[in-house]
Amino acid sequence: MTLREAAEKLGMKPVSGHSRLSREFTRGYVSDLLSDVMANAKAGDVWVTLQVHQNIVAVAALKELAAVILIGGRQPERQTLAKAEAENIPLLLTELPAFEVAGRLYQMGISGKG
Amino acid sequence: MSLHILDIVENSLAAGARRVEIRIAEDLSADRMMVEIKDDGCGMDEEMAQKALDPFFTTKTVRRVGLGLPLLAEACRTTGGDLSLQSCPGKGTTVRATFQCSHIDRKPLGPMADTLMTLIVGHPEVELIYEQRKDGKVFSLDTREIQADLGDIPLNAPEVVPTLRALIQNGLEELEG
Repeated sequence: MTLREAAEKLGMKPVSGHSRLSREFTRGYVSDLLSDVMANAKAGDVWVTLQVHQNIVAVAALKELAAVILIGGRQPERQTLAKAEAENIPLLLTELPAFEVAGRLYQMGISGKG
Repeated sequence: MSLHILDIVENSLAAGARRVEIRIAEDLSADRMMVEIKDDGCGMDEEMAQKALDPFFTTKTVRRVGLGLPLLAEACRTTGGDLSLQSCPGKGTTVRATFQCSHIDRKPLGPMADTLMTLIVGHPEVELIYEQRKDGKVFSLDTREIQADLGDIPLNAPEVVPTLRALIQNGLEELEG
């Protein structure tokens, strides 16, 4: 599944990294602790979080994550959006809570392990 | 929090610090926790000091991001505190982080004994001064004084490490009551 397909199916709004929305992904990671993401997320993961500070872009870049989904209607901070655009990292916004996002992605074949 | 402290001290050492002071104070009546790390490294000018909180600024060459200070700054901010950085080229840097003690998202201090032992064993040549205050009690450590007692035996000698660890662990446990 591509990021664009996931965004359409879950009603998520891409706000950056538009040129990378055709990227396929097969794994997801849910965490709000950046240290945990740095330790345990894998390259190519889609990261689901409520964190909106620019540090999430740095972590996504460091770990080569496919995208970051911001849940619960949260908006990225101004600097976060600027950094995400500069780094061409897709940020996808959703009103859904993290549990719902993870559950729906899982039903669509996205794994949390492997 | 102990890992944040380790991160910041590693910055100090990378800046050539030979003396690092770590001070932690918990003031429950004021609902404030303060962590201060002061070094005598090469210091930074004002421009670099401002950049230091940018996660995409780093002096390291192996990666593009430097997250130690930005992560600590965010941890302060989200728990009702603040982070300040004062630095002067040739004189060193002081990082001061404050937190609201009672904030539900404030991270615990964690295994400071492990952090201190990691620093001492890895860098026995550096004078490490540690002071932690809580509820009127104090635990302090000065590796130069310990080294003076040891004479020619290095701080990270195999026969010294277990005793040093026990000293630190017991001191910190007494502080926690």
